[in-house]
Amino acid sequence: MIKKPGSQSRLKKSVLEQSLCTGCGACVGLCPYQVIYADRTVQLFDCDLPDGKCYAFCPRTPADHNHIRKSLFDVNDLTPEIGAVKGYYFSRALNPRLRADVQHGGTVTALLELAMGEGVIDSAIVSSRSEDFEQCGLLVTDQIQLRRHSKSWFTVSPTLAAFNRIPDDRKKRTGVVATPCQAMALAKMKTAEIPGNSGSDFPGLVIGLFCGWTLSMEKFHNLLARYGITEADLTGMDIPAGKNILELFTAGGLLSVPMAEVDHCVRTACRYCMDSTAEFADLSVGAARFGTDCEEMRGWNQIMVRSDRGKELIELAVAKQVLQLREASAQALRELKRAAAEKKKKALKNIVEKSRSAKNLLYLKSDDPIVRRYLSVDKKRKGKS
Amino acid sequence: MSKLLSSDKSTVLFLGNEAIARGALEAGIEVATGYPGTPSSEVIESLAGVARERNLYVEWSVNEKVALEVAAAASFAGLRSMAVMKQNGVNVASDFLLHLTASGTRGGIVLVSCEDPGALSSVNEGESRYFASMLEMPLLEPADFQEAKDITKWAFELSEAIGNVVMLRSVTRMSHASGNVTCGKLPTKRRKASFQYDGPVMDSQTGPMISTPVVAKHLLRQQRLKDVQRMFDESPFNRYTGPAKPQLLIITSSACFLYSCEAVEMLGLEKKVGILKLATTWPLPSKLLEKTLRKTKKILIVEEVMPFLEENVKVMVTGIVDRIGIKTFFGKYDGTLPSVGELNPDIVADAVGRILKVKRKSLPADYQTDVQKTAALIPVREQTFCAGCPHRASFWNIHNAIALDGRKGFVCGDIGCYSMAALSPATGYHTMPTLHSMGSGTGLAGGFAKLGQFGLDQPILTVCGDSTFYHAVIPALINAQHNRADITFIVLDNAGTAMTGFQPHPGLSVSALKDVVPAVDIAAICKAIGAKVAISDPFDLAATGRILTSFLADKGSLKVLILRQACALSPEKKGKKTFDIKVDEALCLGDACGCNRLCTRIFRCPALTWDRDKKKAVVDEVICAGCGVCASICPQQAIVKTEVITPG
Repeated sequence: MIKKPGSQSRLKKSVLEQSLCTGCGACVGLCPYQVIYADRTVQLFDCDLPDGKCYAFCPRTPADHNHIRKSLFDVNDLTPEIGAVKGYYFSRALNPRLRADVQHGGTVTALLELAMGEGVIDSAIVSSRSEDFEQCGLLVTDQIQLRRHSKSWFTVSPTLAAFNRIPDDRKKRTGVVATPCQAMALAKMKTAEIPGNSGSDFPGLVIGLFCGWTLSMEKFHNLLARYGITEADLTGMDIPAGKNILELFTAGGLLSVPMAEVDHCVRTACRYCMDSTAEFADLSVGAARFGTDCEEMRGWNQIMVRSDRGKELIELAVAKQVLQLREASAQALRELKRAAAEKKKKALKNIVEKSRSAKNLLYLKSDDPIVRRYLSVDKKRKGKS
Repeated sequence: MSKLLSSDKSTVLFLGNEAIARGALEAGIEVATGYPGTPSSEVIESLAGVARERNLYVEWSVNEKVALEVAAAASFAGLRSMAVMKQNGVNVASDFLLHLTASGTRGGIVLVSCEDPGALSSVNEGESRYFASMLEMPLLEPADFQEAKDITKWAFELSEAIGNVVMLRSVTRMSHASGNVTCGKLPTKRRKASFQYDGPVMDSQTGPMISTPVVAKHLLRQQRLKDVQRMFDESPFNRYTGPAKPQLLIITSSACFLYSCEAVEMLGLEKKVGILKLATTWPLPSKLLEKTLRKTKKILIVEEVMPFLEENVKVMVTGIVDRIGIKTFFGKYDGTLPSVGELNPDIVADAVGRILKVKRKSLPADYQTDVQKTAALIPVREQTFCAGCPHRASFWNIHNAIALDGRKGFVCGDIGCYSMAALSPATGYHTMPTLHSMGSGTGLAGGFAKLGQFGLDQPILTVCGDSTFYHAVIPALINAQHNRADITFIVLDNAGTAMTGFQPHPGLSVSALKDVVPAVDIAAICKAIGAKVAISDPFDLAATGRILTSFLADKGSLKVLILRQACALSPEKKGKKTFDIKVDEALCLGDACGCNRLCTRIFRCPALTWDRDKKKAVVDEVICAGCGVCASICPQQAIVKTEVITPG
């Protein structure tokens, strides 16, 4: 009898060795066999279990995304470009002190503070920066602490490892701030049909972050070195709309890095990602940048409400005067959709380039309606493969 | 009183190595040195035990070369002395030995080499007899325990008679088996040490002890060897037993003599096969051999490891073939006997049976099936580190640091219990792919580290034990530092020469004679050569892991990590648990996703067992040494450690 290959070795072969690992942390913290070191997923020892959670939860192992979409969202809300949409707004925290401390409009921090304050959740997993300036997931049980972890550092944070480490009964009452790949991993945790998975109703809340890419730690480190600084010198980072630069805030002043240089530092896995808006979250939040004056919108977020749970939280935020909402224009939504569709096309093109076949889409299924919609088939290549 | 000092004419059960020690005492030895190595260690240990009563100087030297040098100094000063080592130790001592045989000696000096055919406790099947012919020194091989004692005593007399060092070779089955020995007298007179050096250069008793004039002294050594040959022809330790005209003559020595006797008896061929037992295997007793070889045409040479005896007998026979006629030789060259591994009576009996076309009495028909049935009941046991062994924790740390680094780093291995990491790869978590001689791990690592310019981009690690550090690592370490080798050098300091039985080494403040002596600090030596040095407890997985990962990331220089934790079997630890270890079955995930038996499948401490019925890990309280490391690796905190409160 041929033994079914272990989940871990399949994960290694189909994700890690293919440079598809996003470093999200979904396969870490479940067991002693996998850890994150710097921004790499490292398999320490061999595990031979055939139906492991690591393979099932990884956002880059094949799964029926259409089934996941339909089971987690109202089918009437689904759009091909940006997933489920119940509402689309510009938002910012009403508390100006909160806004001063955080990235953009402070919407994520304000929503988490509200959700914890109102007992929707009693703890949150956020991304934190370690002493070594590495990103890691942090369980926050005191809402006062949230503001300390409210900035974006553009490198991957294995946030889900921290989520995996908390006890199941607590996961239901925990909110997670997630990048698109992490939101997908959480969606797989909710839906994966493998022995011992009890994840159907957790986490309690997923606040997704818009994400175009993350930086490879090593490459970014080398880039900073070229600018004569280290991670320790950074006090903040941002990509202002329309300027095509990455801004690095340091005690010594602002450094602007042209995006062409930044592109070289992007994590390889991000090039194969179709999702820029965290389609599998309850709510998705990004910097406001569509259809309005750029500088005016710098202190605002855009927010996408996707699920009933997300909708309830936004309504609560308005009622409790935590968030200020502005209806986004139809043009803003059109621009967002166009940008999201571009990302999907680009990712699929990169995938086909990597696999050298339009029939082999790595972690994506060619019969997925979204994939079919955005896969531009190169006729010549198709003939060959 | 030690049995080693039993009275004259008493019969005592001695280990072969004890018999050698007793022989040395009867010869009036005053200085004994050695470096621990199985199967040789008990010779020095026994002598150290009676050193006070006999007023001996006994030392565990830093290595075999130094041991021979220390012993030679005693000889130069007129005393009788002995240096004891295992087979590969002779290689270490050989540079000095080459020059010692050239300069000659004064007081009787014996080099004892206890060898390990079949490599039962070695990583080589080394053979030191060739040193005897290469360096022109007499070689003696006792064949039983009485001989081990008697021949050792004689070796000192022989050494003084020819003014040169004599080599005595034992093997595992001689050194580590026991037999009755009738003791002789222990001398009462003692010699006074004095080194004469201002006599004529060719005067071996009063001149300088140097190898020059080389050619003249070389010739002298060869002339003396002729005298030795005459003595060997007369030696009662060489003897023939068997019929006057045997169909087959076995020529053998050492433990192989016993195998040969047993084989002949098993076959009932006492009247057809004769055995010439040689105790003096270099130079060969030519007259005795010529006389014996005339008895028959078929000769079987029975010896272990290399065909040393076979070659030398054949060479001798070519010179006298016109007198004794053409002979047919059987042995290793024609494949009658295996060219590798240990022999035993069955192998010898099969060989004799094939030559004489005699079938061995067949065993009962069901014997083989019974053996197979019984064999199936024997649990499979792999070589592994003991429960509570610090090396397991060290290699766990090393493995994880290499994995995190991600550049396929590896460990150059060295000689000690930690060699197990190479011999049984799962035990060392597949980190240690090289293993050679003592100190060569560091030398190899230094070499690998210089291959960057040819594209090698793997972190290089090496390990050595505390005793090995002093033995042969220091020159390689200095070489690495001086040549800017980027290596992570890890000392697995378990506070003693653990593998061979906790003999002291220069890092400890106690000597072989239990005197308080200055301890030579490894960290201080490493710092003095300019290396970056850290010290950690391998049981502290988090702290040790942090140092190792930072060392691997810190490129371009020599980094030293000293992992200090005493051996679980060390006298100060044995039987004392730091922690009581229990498995909380409610928490143990067993083979489910999230653990999949990490402790019993991967960590593999022998004290952790898997309960197949309950599907839970279990701690075997009898085997568990209570180190507590397994509690640190359990992902569920299901392994619970409770500190043992020692009363008082």
